[in-house]
Amino acid sequence: MNKHVMPQAEQPAEQGNQLDKIRDFEIQDYLRLDLFPHFMCPGCGHGIALRALLWAIHDQGIDKDKLAIVSGIGCSGRVGTYIDANTYHTTHGRPLAFATGLKMARPDLHVVVITGDGDCLAIGGNHLIHAARRNLDITCIMLNNEIYGMTGGQVSPTTPYDRFTTTTPAGNIEPVFDASRLAEAAGAGFVGREVTIHVPRLRDLISEGLDYKGFSFIEIMSDCTEINGRKNDLGSSSEMVLGQTRSMRPADFKYGEYDNNVVDHPFRPNSMNTGVFVKSDRPEYGESYRELVHDIQKKQKGH
Amino acid sequence: MAKAKKNKSTRKADIANRMPLKLNPKRLDPETSDEAINVLIVGVGGQGVIMVSKVLAQICQNLGLQVKQSEVHGMAKRGGVVFSHVRFGKTVWSPTIPKGKADVLVALEWAEGLRWMDYLRPDTGIFITDTKRIVPPFACRSRILGADIGYLKDTPDDIIGKVAETFAIDATDMAAKEGNELAANTLLLGALSTTLTFSNEVWREVITQMVPPKTIDVNLSVFDKGQKWIEGSRKGEPVEGSAFIPLVQPEDHPVRTTLSIIEEWCKGCDICVKMCPERCLTLNKDQVVELADPEECTGCHICEWLCPDFAISLNPALNPPPNPIVQEAVA
Repeated sequence: MNKHVMPQAEQPAEQGNQLDKIRDFEIQDYLRLDLFPHFMCPGCGHGIALRALLWAIHDQGIDKDKLAIVSGIGCSGRVGTYIDANTYHTTHGRPLAFATGLKMARPDLHVVVITGDGDCLAIGGNHLIHAARRNLDITCIMLNNEIYGMTGGQVSPTTPYDRFTTTTPAGNIEPVFDASRLAEAAGAGFVGREVTIHVPRLRDLISEGLDYKGFSFIEIMSDCTEINGRKNDLGSSSEMVLGQTRSMRPADFKYGEYDNNVVDHPFRPNSMNTGVFVKSDRPEYGESYRELVHDIQKKQKGH
Repeated sequence: MAKAKKNKSTRKADIANRMPLKLNPKRLDPETSDEAINVLIVGVGGQGVIMVSKVLAQICQNLGLQVKQSEVHGMAKRGGVVFSHVRFGKTVWSPTIPKGKADVLVALEWAEGLRWMDYLRPDTGIFITDTKRIVPPFACRSRILGADIGYLKDTPDDIIGKVAETFAIDATDMAAKEGNELAANTLLLGALSTTLTFSNEVWREVITQMVPPKTIDVNLSVFDKGQKWIEGSRKGEPVEGSAFIPLVQPEDHPVRTTLSIIEEWCKGCDICVKMCPERCLTLNKDQVVELADPEECTGCHICEWLCPDFAISLNPALNPPPNPIVQEAVA
């Protein structure tokens, strides 16, 4: 089963290297500049998450021609459009299914899935648990803004209790999914969560996920300022970004004998925890599959 | 690096030969001295100033001496100034040490030590200090890379002649090599023990009582190191941990970075304006961000990283001057 690991304490790197790392990255190299400015609302956290993703891709030294971005439908699905790489805009909820096929056929590609909370947990909930179960080498970035933003603000599986949405005019009473726990329970090899305000930390988390051989699920807590924030009076864009630091427990937070991902009640998370929750050494599906095929072909040739 | 000065000629000779002179080996004896012996211990919150003074006070109490200890630590938890006066002898009246009357000054931080130096007896005072430097936040008023840092620039050579005897030990580094850099205060206790008449057994017994049980071994071994350091240094033997890396303050040439803004991409979400630590951005009448105060910009990248529309980019400054203090403060 999954092996729980303590999040690694950040090594104090030499300042010179840090500066080089910052200078080295030029985001416009990775964007489709003719599509800009992008369609997202003012203050939308998805833009910050996109920067972190591109930065991590840059840090990992991944060639743009060997990078495939698969995205679904929704605000999050549109994020992939702006990346200057091989992008694949698929049907609602199914980016993981498309990505599975892509990775099986082209194991040489780095497949990154960008999906949202509605896309990944509601419409594509089944695809998520099965992708996590197989542990195929895909990096799944789930942008969790706790609402269906593009369609006008309907309740999503991660909308917190008491939130007003267009479909819950008297406040939401549905219990919520803790997406990271769900992915972990389904068997994902790498699970982590981070907020958008900590951009370098988010970059490092995504970088670790890209580096991991197996299914890595990264939940990014992103702000929907126009739909969710406005309707629920969560403050201006800057207040929402700053608010993330108050509602999150940092990676080093310890609770009793556990490391950091502890919920008081299942399916009703208390303050969210950030950091790496799971990093296991489960076998990667694509590799096992190819070994199996190889063995069968060898046997058939032998006969 | 023991520096002992009595007059100008010996001082010059000492600088020339880099050989510490054997001076003032007399130990302070509370039994024979009529006046109380004054030990002033200073440092920064969290370093263990109070622990050092408690050990000393406990020893005096065990030996049946009168002892008065007076400390200020208040808001100093982690990073503020802490000092502790310890006075002991046959009779002690006042709990505080007057200026110019301290026999020994033990400093756990370099700048703190220099700040309290005028409390030492000008003729016989012994100054034992860690060369550890803790740069306080208010010494970094300008956050622009390469800007002047208001930390003291003195080196041990600069204080030669100002006190009778100085021992500048890189205690934190030595303690870290022994396995726990928090034991630096015990290393200085070892150094302090060479100036007093108390026996080694008494010191070790009280230290064993005072430190956390898991760290007894480390503390006792660094105590020995501190003693050996002073003895070796008085004999003029080469001693480890005496290297003092001078603070090379670069000429004041702050690195100027330039911020470029793509106005067409900005949607006026206000995140950069509110998150800028220097408050140098504003939204203009078209709800587009502009750099209102370019002089204030330190190039911290926060606006660039948090801009969801990629409208801000910071032109990197090339080859900033190396600043050892900043690196030390960051580490």
